[in-house]
Amino acid sequence: MAKTKTNTEDYLRMYRQMVRIRTFEDNANQLYLSAKMPGLTHMYSGEEAVAVGICEALTDDDRITSTHRGHGHCVAKGAEFKEMFCELLGKEEGYCRGKGGSMHIADQSHGNLGANAIVGGSMGIATGSALRAKLQGNDDVTVCFFGDGATAQGLMYEVMNMAALWKLPVIYACENNGYSEYTKTDEIAAGSITARAEAFGIEAHQIDGQDVLAVNALTRKLVDRARKGEGPFFIELMTYRYHGHHVGDINREYYRSKDEERDWKDNRDPIVRFRAYLVEEGIASEDEIEAMNAEIETDAREAVAYAEAARYPDVSEVDMHVYAD
Amino acid sequence: MPHDVTMPQLGMAQDAGKIVAWLKAPGDPVTKGDALFEVETDKATMEVEAQEGGFLTAVTAAEGEDVPVGAVIARISDSAEDDAGPDAPAAVTGSDTPPASAPTSGADDLPEGTSVTMPQLGMAQDSGLLVTWLKSPGDPVAVDDLLFEVETDKSTMEVPAGQDGYLLATLAEAGEEVPVGEAVAIIGDSEPEAPIARARGAAAAAAPKAEADPAPAPAETSPKPAREQSKPAPAPRAVGGRILASPKARRIAREQGLDLNRLAKAGHPQPFHVRDLDSLRALPDTAAGSQAGSQAATRSLTAKVATDGFAAFAGWAKEAHGLTDADALLAGLAGANLPAPCTVAVTRLGQTRQFAVPPGRALSRVEPVSATPEETPSSPDLVLRDLRGGSIRAVAMGGEDHPVLTVMSDDTGLTLTLETSPNQMDADAAITLLTNFADCMEQPLQHLL
Amino acid sequence: MREITLSQAVNEAIAEEMRRDPTVFLMGEDVAEAGTPFKVLSGLVEEFGTDRVLDTPISEPGFVGLAVGAAMTGARPIVDLMFGDFIYLVMDQLCNQAAKQHYMSGGKLTVPMVLRTNMGATRRSAAQHSQSLQALVAHIPGLKVAMPSSAYEAKGLMKTAIRDNNPVVIFEDKLMYQDKAPVPEEEFLIPLGEAHVKRAGDDITLIATSSMVQVAEKAAEMLASDGISAEVIDPRTIVPLDEATLLASVKKTSRAIVIDEGHQSYGVTAEIASRLNERAFYHLDAPVLRMGAMDVPVPFSPALEDITVPTPEGVAGNARKLCAGEMIDAA
Repeated sequence: MAKTKTNTEDYLRMYRQMVRIRTFEDNANQLYLSAKMPGLTHMYSGEEAVAVGICEALTDDDRITSTHRGHGHCVAKGAEFKEMFCELLGKEEGYCRGKGGSMHIADQSHGNLGANAIVGGSMGIATGSALRAKLQGNDDVTVCFFGDGATAQGLMYEVMNMAALWKLPVIYACENNGYSEYTKTDEIAAGSITARAEAFGIEAHQIDGQDVLAVNALTRKLVDRARKGEGPFFIELMTYRYHGHHVGDINREYYRSKDEERDWKDNRDPIVRFRAYLVEEGIASEDEIEAMNAEIETDAREAVAYAEAARYPDVSEVDMHVYAD
Repeated sequence: MPHDVTMPQLGMAQDAGKIVAWLKAPGDPVTKGDALFEVETDKATMEVEAQEGGFLTAVTAAEGEDVPVGAVIARISDSAEDDAGPDAPAAVTGSDTPPASAPTSGADDLPEGTSVTMPQLGMAQDSGLLVTWLKSPGDPVAVDDLLFEVETDKSTMEVPAGQDGYLLATLAEAGEEVPVGEAVAIIGDSEPEAPIARARGAAAAAAPKAEADPAPAPAETSPKPAREQSKPAPAPRAVGGRILASPKARRIAREQGLDLNRLAKAGHPQPFHVRDLDSLRALPDTAAGSQAGSQAATRSLTAKVATDGFAAFAGWAKEAHGLTDADALLAGLAGANLPAPCTVAVTRLGQTRQFAVPPGRALSRVEPVSATPEETPSSPDLVLRDLRGGSIRAVAMGGEDHPVLTVMSDDTGLTLTLETSPNQMDADAAITLLTNFADCMEQPLQHLL
Repeated sequence: MREITLSQAVNEAIAEEMRRDPTVFLMGEDVAEAGTPFKVLSGLVEEFGTDRVLDTPISEPGFVGLAVGAAMTGARPIVDLMFGDFIYLVMDQLCNQAAKQHYMSGGKLTVPMVLRTNMGATRRSAAQHSQSLQALVAHIPGLKVAMPSSAYEAKGLMKTAIRDNNPVVIFEDKLMYQDKAPVPEEEFLIPLGEAHVKRAGDDITLIATSSMVQVAEKAAEMLASDGISAEVIDPRTIVPLDEATLLASVKKTSRAIVIDEGHQSYGVTAEIASRLNERAFYHLDAPVLRMGAMDVPVPFSPALEDITVPTPEGVAGNARKLCAGEMIDAA
């Protein structure tokens, strides 16, 4: 566990946000399993320290771009359960008025530029946001979340080239959860992932993505430097997804073993680890943590019930928002 | 709070799962995360974990059973005894969402009994318009009691109950279009305490909620329009087939009452365009021309009918259906044997009224084309000359612009004469028209269906 | 009124909008000192500097992606795609990203960007530098598509496109860059979705886009000498499409030919013809004809290339047949 200056409020907030993500995903999974949710969804469970460690280093002016596995980024960037569950169920009060769903969920008001369902599809958007910041003399930073699978997309190399040429304030955050859909990352990526960024002269780091404090500390440093024009940066965050590629990917022993899953859950879980740290350091008691967990659980249940009862958008909305005024 | 255990949705294209084995028995204590049962789906077997702690109760699905996704198969309760019994657990988790039905049944809160469905009446009919209910919910009914009245493509008929009992529920309202085979009523043995009357639209709107249908299905709350607004004008028919003409030329011809057939007969080259209408207008006078053309080759057929059943029929139609225009009924009966849609003119004592007979030929939808008798906007497909009550007993008027069906009466019944030229109607069509119309005049009710 | 080239008109429009709005910037391959291979943008980098006129690497998906992100966060980028044929390279960024952000976000995100590119054959550039691919993007809800037919339209449409809050793709005919037309000195805008009746007539309507407007006008001249009065209409934007003006004309003349330089099958001409057919059917005295480029890759040899695109003679010939009420041969 990385050692940083104790800041009780920040730490509890990080813990809380990680638990909120896990709780959101557990409830989303239940909605899927009980056939109450339209479509499929990709669970972020297991990767909470990545989204929370990074987003807790950002302000509301900083932007992120998210992925198909985007619920975690959405929560971490400040979204509320109620609007999120409404979006998940395609309801009018969802963040995207039910037009986006799980794969495009985003609370745009906190700087989330949207979850993208094309693998690697948001890399241009994130880099363009950073270009805009530079051209307009703003000091906000954009973080581009993507997975190991997206490193195989050509767009990444085009935009990293321009970001490096023009020193753009963008941080490429590669969430390496070991699998590109149903295939081991080793089988789809030759050579080192960080070396890809280094080829453009981009400073690249590899870090334990299950250690929220380490992720947060590194991100804070890089965000500060990016604000000063020292970007771009690249972080490879070693993490793990507990569920399959999506909720329908249940029988996955042909690509990864149950023992491996068990090992990550039992020994490297970011929430379990951080909780032990908080208790050990005297930042929170077990009782306080249990109370926080229970409160989040209640929030989620209420939000689910609210979303289930909420209205679908009126059919007249179907051709609304095709064009902006 | 008890928590329902449902058959989970697991694979991508899966709608049911087989319970291979229960790993806990009813009454067992369970902790969140415990494996509860084993399910087989998509060629794989997997364990399903408890989402809550408590006691396993109300197990309703047995090992080996295929269960639809989302169906409740057990409950996790606060105590081992809770709700243990034959009752199915409430279908929906915690919230105050209304209870859903078992996924296999489409009905929700309907009483048990035998359904009476919308009957198939016509050949190519897929729905019927429920005209009126002849019994009210709660009424006792006998097997032959008439239950409701339905209008289909040809006519209106009454549907009997088909069994003795009580009318427990009506599932559609008068004015609603109901697909053939769909239940419109439920009849049961015992007198209901709270008989149900509801609209079909209401049931359709309620269904998605009960099934947790993800799509915001636009509920079809209003019945389809019962009356067609358009009054189709007769398309010009070619002598030996279809006339080729531009859409605009056709439209103007229709609007101005120009008969493209005449242009075709005159040998004018097709396709016709707007400018060809000038040639049509320049053709010799219509009446003279067509008389000259058709006099030589007139068909004349005469039928005899012993009794005139029409007056009684008109009385019944007025009484039972509020159809007060006897001429419209007459036009409808005659037009029923022409290609639909068609226009039939009824002429009597020097007055002519023209009626549009719509596709489907429902008598209730025969509409006057024009309110004033002086105006006859386009040429009719058939003229029905009603000479009943007069002294004429036989006609041989010769060819006219349109086929003419003359109806005459005397002590021995009705005499019907159809006069037409070969290019207006072929022999088979003429025979069919007159035969069927004669039957209709004799026993209108019998030939309705 | 002064006359300027289409190239100058585009340049003026961009310069005026960059002066007016500091969030407007320009990016693309060789747009700065080189001013593009067609020299359309010459001089802009001198006025606005390399911060607002950015030369990019040859990475079409990359820089179009950057433009989408910049547009979503408060800038108004104009992206220069050197040849319309390169649209295939940027399809994901244009159609999955730019076109859908507003909708997917329930109206919360907007993408005010302009993609300017070109179209048009007969420049002896062969199959990968001669295509007219407007139908591809016009098919995608969320994108607007403008097709200027002269310097005047090029300026007015560009200025409006830059101010529009949606992604707008502008196709300029690369053969028309040096064509001159009267363009007012004072500022003007042309609304998107407003067709222009170039020439009034009674017997037949010729609906033509971009390069084909000239073709239609020449055809109308020829027809006039035969006593056939042709009306020529330039829709100016194909999305949105000014259906009302087209319908009014066709209801008057009762005949129409739609001409566009994209491939004829499944193209712009088919869409417009279909709408006329649906909405003016009972006013048609002849079938609505489509005239597009032949359904072949654009060949290099002049002997072959020139016969792939509609010509004034071809348009006039078809118009005569329609007006004479002749059956149009399916073959």
